[in-house]
Amino acid sequence: MQTSRPISALPNSCIAGDGSQPAARFWRRKLILPMILLSLLALAGCRKPAPRSTPTPPPEVMPTASLSANPASIRSGESTRLTWQTQHATDVSIEGLGQVDSNSSRMVSPAESTTYRLTARGPGGEQEATTRVTVTPAAPTQSTTGDTTNSGPHPDEASFSRNVRDVFFDYDSYAIRSDAQEQLNANAAWLARHPGVKVQVEGHCDERGSTEFNIALGDSRAHAVKQFLVQAGVGAERVSTLSYGKERPSCTESNEECWQQNRRGHFVLQR
Amino acid sequence: MSINYVSSGRQSFDDLCRVQASNTVTAPAMKKYFSALFVLLPIAAAFFALAPASAAQTDWIRTGTGLGVERVRIAVPDFKTPSTSNFSQVFDQTLFNDLKNAGIFDVVSKSLYPLAVPGSPAEIKLDAWNAEPVNASMVAFGSLSSGGDNSSGTLTVQGWLFDARNSQSPQVLGKQYSEPASEESARLIAHRFADEIISRLGGGIAGIAESKIYFVRAGGRNKEIWQMDYDGANQKQITRLGSISLSPRVSPDGSRLAFTTFARGGPDIAMYSLELGRMLSFPRFGGANLSAAWTRDGSKIAFSSSMRGDTEIYVVDSSGSNPRRLTTSRGPDVSPVWNPKTDAQIAWVSGRNGLPEIFLMDADGAGVQRLTEAGYAVSPSWSPNGQFLAFSWNRKYGPGAPGGQDIYVMDVATRRFIQLTHGSGTNDFPSWSPDGRHLVFQSTHGGVDHIWSMLADGTQLHQLTMSGRNSQPNWSFK
Amino acid sequence: MRNRRQSIFDERESWQGPVAVSTTLHAAFFVLILMYGAYLSHLPHESWGSATASSGDALSVSLVSQAAIPLPRPAVQTENIVANDSPGLTQSKPKEIPVPEPLAIPIPAREHTRKPEKIREKIAVAAASTIRDTYRAPPPRESNVVPFGRGGPVDIPYKVFSLGGSAAGIGTPSDSGFGSRYGWYVDVVRRKVSENWLKYEVDPAIQNARRVFITFDIQRNGQPENVQIEQTSGVPSLDVSAVRALQRIDTFGPLPPDYSGRQVSVEFWFEFKR
Repeated sequence: MQTSRPISALPNSCIAGDGSQPAARFWRRKLILPMILLSLLALAGCRKPAPRSTPTPPPEVMPTASLSANPASIRSGESTRLTWQTQHATDVSIEGLGQVDSNSSRMVSPAESTTYRLTARGPGGEQEATTRVTVTPAAPTQSTTGDTTNSGPHPDEASFSRNVRDVFFDYDSYAIRSDAQEQLNANAAWLARHPGVKVQVEGHCDERGSTEFNIALGDSRAHAVKQFLVQAGVGAERVSTLSYGKERPSCTESNEECWQQNRRGHFVLQR
Repeated sequence: MSINYVSSGRQSFDDLCRVQASNTVTAPAMKKYFSALFVLLPIAAAFFALAPASAAQTDWIRTGTGLGVERVRIAVPDFKTPSTSNFSQVFDQTLFNDLKNAGIFDVVSKSLYPLAVPGSPAEIKLDAWNAEPVNASMVAFGSLSSGGDNSSGTLTVQGWLFDARNSQSPQVLGKQYSEPASEESARLIAHRFADEIISRLGGGIAGIAESKIYFVRAGGRNKEIWQMDYDGANQKQITRLGSISLSPRVSPDGSRLAFTTFARGGPDIAMYSLELGRMLSFPRFGGANLSAAWTRDGSKIAFSSSMRGDTEIYVVDSSGSNPRRLTTSRGPDVSPVWNPKTDAQIAWVSGRNGLPEIFLMDADGAGVQRLTEAGYAVSPSWSPNGQFLAFSWNRKYGPGAPGGQDIYVMDVATRRFIQLTHGSGTNDFPSWSPDGRHLVFQSTHGGVDHIWSMLADGTQLHQLTMSGRNSQPNWSFK
Repeated sequence: MRNRRQSIFDERESWQGPVAVSTTLHAAFFVLILMYGAYLSHLPHESWGSATASSGDALSVSLVSQAAIPLPRPAVQTENIVANDSPGLTQSKPKEIPVPEPLAIPIPAREHTRKPEKIREKIAVAAASTIRDTYRAPPPRESNVVPFGRGGPVDIPYKVFSLGGSAAGIGTPSDSGFGSRYGWYVDVVRRKVSENWLKYEVDPAIQNARRVFITFDIQRNGQPENVQIEQTSGVPSLDVSAVRALQRIDTFGPLPPDYSGRQVSVEFWFEFKR
């Protein structure tokens, strides 16, 4: 009779009983099957994920840039449209305007003749483009006579339209982007310098999307702008909001450029 | 051993029971039972006597599914008239089109009709209408007479609806109408007669021939509210505010029109009285107020307002008092609609997750559920039986992605949906007809915004407006 | 031998080793399978059906359309051997129905539960045609099949009565006058119930079922009341879907004004064939 044995003594007993060969074969057989199955499992697992091949990076190309202003010569107080195009650039900025899109345009109203410099940076290098806008002083307008009655234009109107400019939004969003933040800070600074001025923020949307939803979205945009201005120090009672949804577009083409122009917060001087 | 025990136990139990029974049924109890019987017996007898009598009085119908297709084949010949006038032509055409548009008939083409025009029950020969080639099961016929062709006469119409397969008692309807003679009244009588026929043969659901559609027409920089018949006729301007007016919603009793206007600066809810023909007062709340929606009983209006900052759904009484807020989430919340069957649920559009999606909640704001995921879903409209939501959905929407905004109908209980329009133009603002069989919507199919109508299964598309830029249709409640 | 047997018994102890190894391997397997499953579930995949579809292909389930939208279902072309295919003006004669051998059920290569019923119905209709004397309309045809394949309505007059309870009789036996006078109302009832019957409520495993018979009363204002299951089909989901169909209906339209009764009782059967 065999007494209880520790497990480690097992092979010995098998050996003692029947010889070592069958025991070893026995163990091998027991282990081979799980090993086979495990390897099958691993193979099956390997089949699943789609291999994400990293695309070969494009060869480094020097970015190109072009900048133009239309019209190139304006009177003081008027606006001109800067249009630029860049290629192979990841980072495009214009002096005085900050970070901009790669291909876009913007209205600017310089107070005096300026040279706008565009810098396009990409993996291939850096490119610059410049254009000059000549500003001829206008005939003396009544803005200097200080007529503040409701019948004439607001004394600060010219300065307002030059300095307090639209901010733009991403698609279906009312979040203030970084370029909008810069512009809003500038607007807040102007409003701080002209403490008596009241302003209305209009929220607009592009032509895609539904009428009713766009009024609500425009309202959210106007509201976001107002909150930003208030946080930047402008009194809340000076800023009112109004949403037009997609009812009053500033341009009517059906392309991303126009749509971006329409997704705006627009400032209107209140009397 | 055990068996014996049980059987003996049972025997004893039975004995016990018997003893107990004999103990309980004592004389006084027996008397109680008998007296009860005496009372009940006459009642029972009366019941049994009456039952066969009532059963004999109730007629029986035995029918079932799968017995044939559902469209009624109806013939609508021209009404007999002493001399063909403008009125009779308008009448015949309107009646024919109304029955064709109803969605439940297979209107037999006039080219197949027998030559004899029946004007009264005595003149009609049902055999001719029942047999080939017409093979109609119903015939709507009658006579029309106008005392004088011009406005100083009276238009009298007598109409019958006959069951062509039942020669014993064919009459289903017999009606007479009389109106001052004009083209409009010829149209009106045709609409009324068609509605009667549709109501009788459509299972009690009223016809839509007299319903109206309110919509927005753009003229220059302004947009005004207009009205037209359900088939696009009689288009006329309602508001003359010289500003942008949007989202017309007529009240359930047809007396008032709520809409959104920029006439006083920002978007505000305004109310127009269709009976009095002028604007009514409605309180102005701060912020943007838009997309009003009536409950089916006309007592409350839900709308979207940013009076406290962010656009949320509010409910007011129909006079505008007592606003209460229902939603509390960031992001735009617009376009509420009530469940017209119960007035206990509201579906609306929320941009809380980015792109607009359709949500559902109880009338007190609880139980918010999302109905659509992914894509751009707007403009819900609830069917009159409370079961379906029609809305506009672009399931592949993203910045710059090419469009495909189509009308979908979703079963609210099972969340299963079906696509009704297929990618031609942008389709938006569906609105159900009062019979739950039709939808009207705006579409840019063909390039310009126009109002279209279709059956609720996507067939039988009709363009209703032909000029101008038209949008945001709203079908009246009746 | 004895030693061996003894050693087998003794090896009870030595079994612990292999058992332990076996359990650990089994456990390892189990864990691996779970991980495999978890890994699979995290891969992006398409979800089918319902509104949660992300990429939107192959899913919008087509259902809603004909169910409780009160539109008639589109006309169906049937394979009616009696009909010919020409619509229009020609007077086409229906094919003569031969009286088949009674109860001669052919040896089924493909079992069709409809066949026996069809044969029985043919007998019934053929027999009925000999009894009909005041009957004027076109010759009899199978009652649930669309005449001439054109999708027109059933135009059997309302005096057909059923034999053996298997033919579909519209209307009533000749002793009850409602169906013969107001056949159009019977059609309205039939149409409305059929429109509101949602077949997808029936258990998807069911292919064919017996008829379920529902009785209800229609009041003067057209409202159905007192909905009862008179005879079940044996399939509970079918019975429930039939009752729900009735519950969805508010009204059939008021009873004909010149009908004198207070109400009408309806026995309605639902025939389910997928």
